[in-house]
Order: sequence, then structure tokens, then C-alpha cells
Amino acid sequence: MEIFDNLLMGLSIAITPMNLLYLLLGAAIGMMIGAIPGFGPSAGIAILLPVTFSMDPISAVMMLAAIYYGAMYGGTITAILLNTPGDSTTVASTFDGFPLAKQGRAGPALVMQACASFTGGTIGVILITLLAPMFAMVTRSFGPPEFFLLCLMGILTLVALMSGNWILGLVSALIGFALGTVGVDLETGHQRFTFGSTELIGGIHFIPVAIGLFGIGELFHAFYSGAHKSGTGGIVQYQNEERFWPTKKDLRESKFTMPRNAVLGFCIGLIPGAGATIASLMAYSLEKSLSNTPRKFGQGEMRGLTAPESANNAASSGAMVPLLTLGIPGSASTAVLLAAFIMWGLRPGPLLMADNPEFAWGLISSMYLGNMALLVISIFAIPLFVYIIKAPYRILAPLVLVVCVMGTFSVNASMIEVFIMLGAGVIGFLMKRFGFSPAAVVLALVLGPMAEESLRQTLIISRGSFDIFFLRPSSVYIMVFFAAVILSGILLNAYRKKANIQGAQA
Amino acid sequence: MHNAKLKKTGTTLATAIAVAAAGLSLTTSHAMADGWEPEEQLNITIAFGPGGGNDVLSRTLIDILEKYELYPENIVATNRPGGSGAVGWGYVFNQEGNPYHLSTTSGSFIATPLQADTPWDTMSFTHIALMAADDQVLVVNSESDIQDFDDYLEWARENPPAVGGIGSVNNDFIVAQLLSQEAGYDYDYVPFNQQGELTTALLSRSIDAMVATPGSVIGLIESGDFRALAFSGETVPDALEGVPSFAELGYGDAAVAMPRGLIMPPGVPEEAREWWIDTIAQVVETPEWAEYVEANFLTENVQFGDDFTDFLESTINNFETILTETGAI
Repeated sequence: MEIFDNLLMGLSIAITPMNLLYLLLGAAIGMMIGAIPGFGPSAGIAILLPVTFSMDPISAVMMLAAIYYGAMYGGTITAILLNTPGDSTTVASTFDGFPLAKQGRAGPALVMQACASFTGGTIGVILITLLAPMFAMVTRSFGPPEFFLLCLMGILTLVALMSGNWILGLVSALIGFALGTVGVDLETGHQRFTFGSTELIGGIHFIPVAIGLFGIGELFHAFYSGAHKSGTGGIVQYQNEERFWPTKKDLRESKFTMPRNAVLGFCIGLIPGAGATIASLMAYSLEKSLSNTPRKFGQGEMRGLTAPESANNAASSGAMVPLLTLGIPGSASTAVLLAAFIMWGLRPGPLLMADNPEFAWGLISSMYLGNMALLVISIFAIPLFVYIIKAPYRILAPLVLVVCVMGTFSVNASMIEVFIMLGAGVIGFLMKRFGFSPAAVVLALVLGPMAEESLRQTLIISRGSFDIFFLRPSSVYIMVFFAAVILSGILLNAYRKKANIQGAQA
Repeated sequence: MHNAKLKKTGTTLATAIAVAAAGLSLTTSHAMADGWEPEEQLNITIAFGPGGGNDVLSRTLIDILEKYELYPENIVATNRPGGSGAVGWGYVFNQEGNPYHLSTTSGSFIATPLQADTPWDTMSFTHIALMAADDQVLVVNSESDIQDFDDYLEWARENPPAVGGIGSVNNDFIVAQLLSQEAGYDYDYVPFNQQGELTTALLSRSIDAMVATPGSVIGLIESGDFRALAFSGETVPDALEGVPSFAELGYGDAAVAMPRGLIMPPGVPEEAREWWIDTIAQVVETPEWAEYVEANFLTENVQFGDDFTDFLESTINNFETILTETGAI
């Protein structure tokens, strides 16, 4: 079969000592920068970009791509251990990851997230290998109307995340939407709520807000509850060495969770601009609605961690499809990769794979190896990370603060963003104290501007008519799919209630 | 014991913050001599994030300066994105008189100060050289019946098309607007933030046409997914052979090029400016530069010093007229 010939050819290119070395280097760097809050893969790739000028493009792309998906592995580490998502893609991983760590199950949580990341990444690459041209069709049918519907789905999944007080959750989401209105209005070019500040023209970035609300907020909360007074207790309790490996129950529970969310994540990753954040959110709410025990989500449910992790890694594979098959970047990281393609003298577009099969298939094959390498690196590195959180809180807390400040500063070299981050920290503490939802703020801040832009683009195109959503086949498919998901959720709930009542009567 | 430990941690924290803050305020003393020669590290500010046009241009420039040993000292490039260039160029603006700061330009170098209340404007800086120009190409989806610009015009006059581009106060918009005015048709401009979303919108035929730099769509033109109708520059790149230029179609006035050039802070000594003009004259002669221009489908357009200033001035006038007419500024 042609695909296997291609794959073998790719492997023969990827498995040279030099290329393997670059691949491992990229994977390790990716994991490291992913673990630092704020310092994302796009910055990592950009910094290493000039180094690659003198390299063979195939080695270079293997390394840079490994940084990209390696960061997806690393980003969850702080989400689990410190409740600080390194990127918007790992916000959903804090929901159950941090509660798991608090229960003393940081080890199993980290191992399971590595497994979920591996499953997501690998299923993603398998789908690229087998069906990349077919999946490019998804990208080809996605315009602003479909993009808006997808954002709407993402926003509605917020509802599923608000397990506590839904009024406070709604208020939190509205705060996020409000923050999202700051900056230049794309359609008219007018400035909104920038108060003359040049730093705010580009809007309020979610990274300082997320790091502040979660990381710094958690820190304040720990001081408030007196964690610093305990001489030995870290942020989380972790003493029992035999708890490093996940139990059979963990594995059994996530058996279907990982592959199904990998497919979901991959499909969403195909859509330029939507990417891993929406994918991880939708995976979380899908898993929660499928579960027999939705109440356990948010309390340290393993599936609540493996679902978004599998999805965000698969989404990063999915984002390679439009890049390789159409030359379209779907995210900041793939945009830097695209710039690299051009610098190496390649011409991205539908002909890239046919004109440069060694390059494309070398890259695809290297992604199999890279994911394996990352799984191994993760398992070996986990004891080190766990060791960090065993440190007494009075040592750990200043370190966390420094990492948060440096991480925020490194994104745009902006002190204003550092102040936004610290301000968000105070608000994050108050929100946690009074039961608001910091996650809803961050996700509304990410999704709000996307939804606004795509809706306004849609309405310019349709000249103000909402009919456009019913006239485009792909819009209709999305709405039908969406309605089916909601309906099945309602029916499933009703069935369970009935079963519970009957169970109680019996 | 505990106190000592705490103190130590406190110092580490303070140092770390100091290190972070130091990145903000790089102050350099500048010595000057007759027949100016650089004696200090060169700081290149990239007013946008990694991977964009300014980033690629800056890094290519550094590569050439280092390879041909044109700059004797160290070169450091820093990305200072934010506010469509307002933050990065604002930083360069504040280095008044310092000949060790350099930045690259793009369409936003003209659009941003018109749109936002920046303390600087395009003319505030010391203009070194225009090195190339970024032109635009009008494309449609190949599945449409439109075969050439005449078809497009005929159809557009009947059915005002939705034309996509990046940003609302940007070259894409200016070109789309000027073209519609010159050729006499109505249209709706659909602004996008990201190239990926814009290209996808045309692929999915959500929009009817788009204005883009050739580099961003050339792959799709070659594969036959998109059809190029017209090119705004004077000399059509080889890759777009057979596509008429705006001038050939009789709409030469609609062509507005994005300046890819070099600027320095305001009030840089004349000797330093001369030194840089001489140096850039050598840069644009290198094969690496020719490679960059070709790979990115730029139009060769080299103008030094005052000529570059004149070029910027006429581009500003073009922008200002259009943006005032449309009410964007």
C-alpha cells in the first residue's frame, strides 16, 4: 500500500542518528517550555528558528514540530501540581488534575496525563497518515458561519463546567466576555476600552489572566488557609511512594475516554483558529455528560483529566493537517512553522506533500517517534516534578511567584501584563473564596472575541441575515450534530434519574 | 535558621525580578566619532511576534550582516509585539538619538499611528532605506465562474462581492477599497485577524474574493484552488505569470505597497544614518537578499534616505484619504 511505503520512506529518513538527536532535543525542550507557565510553544519555536537556518529542513522541522507537541505534554504538569495552566489549552486539565494532586494522587495523575497525551498524539498521527487529504475537506468547508457555531458550542460547554452555583458561574463568564471586548474592534478599527494605553490596543491576553487567576490566586488562598505555617506539608499531600503508578481502576476507567476524545480533539484541531482550547473543553464536557457519576467531575475524577489531555494533544496533530495539506496555519505555533517552511525554501500549499514527500513523510513519521520519546521522558521526569511539590510551602511559594512573573513577562516582555497577572491573582483569590469560577473567566475571555469576530464576519457576508446558517450545508450539519448531542444528554439524564428512582424503590 | 532561609529566598526573588525588569530599560551611553563606525551592540526591535513579516525580515537582515561581517559588534533582536506595532515602535521612538537601535517597517508602521493615539508617527523616525515592497494579489476560488478580472468586474457590478482581508486599517483594506473606487463597483469588506481563517473562508467560499500578499496564497494558486485575477505591484512575480497588474488593467492608482524598510530612533546623528545607508546598499546586493525577496514574493524596490521618506509620505496620504472617507479614523 502506498501509505505504508510512504511511511516506511519517512521512517528511514527520520531514523538517522542526527535526526533522532534533534527530535529528542526538540521533545525535551518542548516539554520544558510547556512546563513554564506563559512560555508557550510558539515562543520556543521562534527562538530556535534562526538556529535551523543552517540545518537540513527535515531535521529542523522534526525538531520544531517536537517542540510544538512536546509543549502539550509539559503544559499539564503545572496545571496538575500548582493549579496553574501554562496555556489556555490546559485550563480544562486543572479541573480534575489539581483535585487529584490534592488527594495525594499527583503521581498517578501525571502518569495518566502522559498516557492520555501519548494516546491523543499517536491517534492524531495515525489519522494524519491514513486520512490527511480527506480531513483537509473539513478545513475546506469551514467559513466564519461554521466557526461561529463552533465557538457557540464551546461557550455552551461552559455551562457543563459550572457544577457549583450557576449564577456565580454566569457572572464569572460575563466578566470574561467583558475583558474580551478590550482592544481594537476588528470591523471598524476603533479602540474599545483602551483608555489611551498603547499596551491595551491588542486586547487583554488570556495568559496573564489565566496565570494570575489560577496560579497566584491559589497561592493567596493557600496563605489564607495557613498552608505556609505547616513545616513540611507541600501544596499537596504526597508522601506515599507506592502511589506513583496509576491503579488498574484508573486505566480501566479511561480505556475508552482517551481514544474517543482523541478523535474529537483531532477533528476540532483541523479547524484553523479553533484548536486545542475548544477541543479540551468539549472533551471535558463530553466525558462529563457521558459519565454515570457526573458529580465526581471537578472532585478529582481521572477521566476529567485524561479527556482534555488526550483531546488537546490530538488537536495539535490535527492542526498539522491544514498546515501540510493546504499551507494554512491554524495557531500561533503552526504560523511560526509555516514561516519556517518558507525560509527553508519550501512552498506550503496543497502541492507540498506531492512535491516534497521526504519532508512531509519524514515529519509525519517523526511524530510517531516523538510521541513515544515524550511518553518515556514524561515517566522518567515525573518523580522529579513530584519532588518539587514535596518542598515545604514557604520555599515553594516564592518560587511559584517568580516562575509566574517570569513566565508572564517572557510572553511579550510587557510589565503591564505582569501587573495584569498580579491583579488577576487578587481577583482569583477572591473568586475562589466566594465561589466564583476562574475557569469560566479565562475561557470566556478566549472564546468571546472569537465568537464576536466570526459572528460579525458572518453578518457582513450575509448582509445582516441569519438565514446564512441554514443555507450552508456544513452549518446545518454542525447544528444537527449539536442538537443531537444536547438531546442525548437530556435523555441520558432523564433515563438515569428514572433508573435511580427505580433503584431506590427496589 | 528558618529566618536565614527565608531571607535567602527573598533575595533570590528580588534578584529575579530585577533581572526581569532590567530587560525593559536597556540604557546605553553612545560615543561618537567623525566618520562614524559602530562601537556597540546593535539592538533590533521587532514590533511584532515571531514568524511574521517583520520577524522574518529582521532575522534575514541579521543573518546577512553577520555572514558578510558588515556589523562589527554583537547584534541582539527582541520581539516587542503589542498594539499593532505601537509598543515596539514606541520603544524605538524613546531611544532618541541612539544610533544602536534599528527596527523594520510594514504597513502597520503607517496605519497604526493614523488609527491609534501613539506618541509617535511615521515621520518621527530617522528613515534609513526602503528595501522591498509587499504587494497584493486579488484572488477568487477556482470553483467560481470568474476566469479573469473582466469577469470579476462584470459580476461585481451586478452582485456586490464580499472581499476578505487582514485587519480593518491595513493594506488589504486600502487596496480593496481603492480598487473598488477606481473600477466602480460596490463591495463589502470582511476583516479577519489571522491569515489562516481568511484563507479558509475563501476555500469554503464563505467570501467571494480576497486581497492577500502573494506569499500567503501562492501554494493554493499553484495547486489550482485559487485563481489570481490581478496583482497590485508593477512587476508581476514569475510565480504569477500571466496575471495582469493593476496598472495594466488601468487601475494603477489603486496600488499601495507595504514598505519593507529600516528605521532608526528620531534624531540619530547624520553620520550614523549615512553609515547605515551605505551598509544597507551592500545588504541588498547579496544573493541572500535576492533569495529572501524571491522566497517571500516581494517586489524589488530600494530607496535610500530622503527618497524613502518621500515614499512614506505619499503612502500616508493615500491611507489617510481612504480611511477618512470610510470613517475609520
